[in-house]
Amino acid sequence: MSKTPNAQLSTSNVQLSGNASTSNVKNRTSNILRRIVDLIVAGVFIYAGAIKALDPVQFASDIDNYKIFPWPISVALAFYLPWLEIFCGFALVGRLLYRGALSILMALVLMFTLVTIAAKVRGLDITCGCFGHASQNWSFPSHLATNLGILAALVVLWVSNRSPKPL
Amino acid sequence: MRSSLIRQILILAALALIPGLGEAVYFRQKISWQSSIPPSELVTVDQARTWAGNVIWVDARPDEEFARDHVPGALSLNEDRWNELLPQFLAVWSPGKKVVVYCSSLSCNASREVARRLRKEAQLSDVFVLEGGWEAWFKKR
Amino acid sequence: MKTHTVAFALSTLISLSARAELKWEQTMIELHPTPTDKQAIGHFKYQNPGKTPVHFKSVHASCGCTTAQTQKDEVPPGGSGEITATFNIGDRTGTQVKTVTVETDEAANSKTVLTLKTIIPQQLEITPTFVFWKQGDKPDPKTITVKVGKEFTVKHIKVTSSSPDFQTKVEEKGNGEFKIDVQPQETKNLVASTLTIQPEDSQKIFYATARITNSPVVQ
Repeated sequence: MSKTPNAQLSTSNVQLSGNASTSNVKNRTSNILRRIVDLIVAGVFIYAGAIKALDPVQFASDIDNYKIFPWPISVALAFYLPWLEIFCGFALVGRLLYRGALSILMALVLMFTLVTIAAKVRGLDITCGCFGHASQNWSFPSHLATNLGILAALVVLWVSNRSPKPL
Repeated sequence: MRSSLIRQILILAALALIPGLGEAVYFRQKISWQSSIPPSELVTVDQARTWAGNVIWVDARPDEEFARDHVPGALSLNEDRWNELLPQFLAVWSPGKKVVVYCSSLSCNASREVARRLRKEAQLSDVFVLEGGWEAWFKKR
Repeated sequence: MKTHTVAFALSTLISLSARAELKWEQTMIELHPTPTDKQAIGHFKYQNPGKTPVHFKSVHASCGCTTAQTQKDEVPPGGSGEITATFNIGDRTGTQVKTVTVETDEAANSKTVLTLKTIIPQQLEITPTFVFWKQGDKPDPKTITVKVGKEFTVKHIKVTSSSPDFQTKVEEKGNGEFKIDVQPQETKNLVASTLTIQPEDSQKIFYATARITNSPVVQ
């Protein structure tokens, strides 16, 4: 892990073939695209986290509706999870603790998805999803699709971030 | 690489704890860690007793249970005969009175539902649910 | 946390499918009664595909408003039947979820929870259902808002007051909304009235209460 911030620049500059300018453009485009996905995904989680952080009492009650955790745990999660989302969202924006943030967010979305499916299977009447009461009128397929879409975006970011980048 | 990933996760997890704990302190009056009913809506038998003559006891249980035994002076108000029983309750109510609704125990839902309807539909304030219900009152009679 | 939740979700799915003896056609039934129905009935059908008879040890509902009947106490191998859950709607509103817990002598899965979800249609939503004036208050009119439920069309409502001490005036706001202005003649006497609100072309009657109350006791 001894690469310096300039390492990538010098590598791409060293490419002498006629494809040098094309791969530069490709790199820059994929960087920009990746950045856009970063910001969109980060925005989603910061927004979702903020909505829930504003009303933890309601969020605790929404978590309790899934009937998975005992009430005190629902309360603890209601206070904690929104901030985890917010901090991870900002981590994506600032490209700090990037992979850590991605892992946490992927775990959260996976858990939300499983819990939503379990609730549907058990016939529970869940009227809220990851966006607090703003999403309470969505149907189950929309919730599922949104969750899976966000998960897909996170996976794309994880995979495209494989090349070691300086923190 | 692996250890730095775990380190990142732990740092983020720890960072989120700070505002999380802050909110837990800030909202401590608004939420009870024991019961999912907000503390502002629950009242214990002892607390209700301190209100003495200013309390209206409401029994949210089905008719047969009310007939068998109930808090002396309590009015029956359940969801089976809401439309019929509500006006009788309202005849006894006046602003400033404290309404304490009970059903059989800590786990029944009827008292919460009746209290909710009194607050939402009749728009009454000072409506409380008795913690422990009829069981708790009976133990202390 | 991730592995625990995965394990939990999987075990939930597995346990749901591992019904040992009795096979239930549905364990969750959703009912949509009409506004004038007094009861909502769910038929939970079962079959015994096993080789040994199954006995019902107990069948009991989560509340007094729901009764559950088995047709028989014993189900022979290959036999079938149903548990009839009858939910007395009473004056309840909204989505009501009631459960019936069935206990059998099955070895692997002795307790089954049957869920009856009843969506009670709300033809009119009346807010508030109670208006009052304290003795001595000015007899100004107070407003009750009536909103028609999304699945219904109500063009007119009829409002009557059980006592001439209170006058009512209905205003049609359109878009499924009505306003009822209630006004007492005076607030000297402790009088009350029951207002009946009826959508035209409907049997169902809704109620609101108007009264003059005591002034709060000085504490």
